[in-house]
Amino acid sequence: MAEFTCNLKFFRQRKDLTQEQLAELAGVRRETIMRLEKAQYNPSLKLAVDISRAVGAAIDEIFIFP
Amino acid sequence: MKNKKSRWLVPLLSIGVCVLVSLLAAWSDLTYNSGRLVYPMDSSYSFQPSDIPMLLALTLDAFCALTLLTLILREAIFRRRREAERRRTRQLNPRLGFLGLFGFCGFLGFLPISELSTYTPFVFFLFFGFFGFFYEGRMSNTLMDERFQENVRRAKLDAYKLGIGVVHLLVIANGLIDCSPELRASVMLVVLSLTMGLVLFLQEYLLYRYDQQDAEGV
Repeated sequence: MAEFTCNLKFFRQRKDLTQEQLAELAGVRRETIMRLEKAQYNPSLKLAVDISRAVGAAIDEIFIFP
Repeated sequence: MKNKKSRWLVPLLSIGVCVLVSLLAAWSDLTYNSGRLVYPMDSSYSFQPSDIPMLLALTLDAFCALTLLTLILREAIFRRRREAERRRTRQLNPRLGFLGLFGFCGFLGFLPISELSTYTPFVFFLFFGFFGFFYEGRMSNTLMDERFQENVRRAKLDAYKLGIGVVHLLVIANGLIDCSPELRASVMLVVLSLTMGLVLFLQEYLLYRYDQQDAEGV
């Protein structure tokens, strides 16, 4: 899996969302959000777009690939 | 709840009617027809009007069985479609895993051939795969997001890899080892049934393991 840095937790908290709420908005399970925040899961483009819309931040701000 | 009850009422009633009609027809056949269609007979059957009750009962049984099969299949297809629309795994009771115990019936195949004169019981080894319901039941009604689907593909791939590997070895061994056709047939059946059971079980077990690993963040 490609290594990357994930700022999802920061943007999620800035939006005042819980993992559960964000999971519901993105149509995934809470565990998936947890894995994403730990940068242990490489999301599909669709999921990345859904998450960026949910937290109101650009994809390349949330997921930073070296 | 009422809807669920009424859904089962018609099939249960039709089974009851079929059993009753069959019993009546068997009684009538034994009493008035010398049991022509109850006792085993050779291929020299010729129609007699007194066979009609039993033939009607058999037709009704066949019709009932076909209708029930169609209803079950239709329900299964609708349920699968509903679950696909909801993007959730099917709802299962983990206790269904105990069906895997039927796999032990496969050992009946090791009884001396003269007693059963068939290898068919070996196929029961396939039922060991039903132990996978223990794990599928634990993941019952889970949202199938992309990570879950990725794990499904991973688990299936690993299970099939193992299954294909075993079948591959079996084919090679089959070509190399010289033995009687009976022994060859029984070994093939045992290994193939066990492999299919293993693949069915592993698909669910590995999916559960991968999913749990992910949840624990291992």
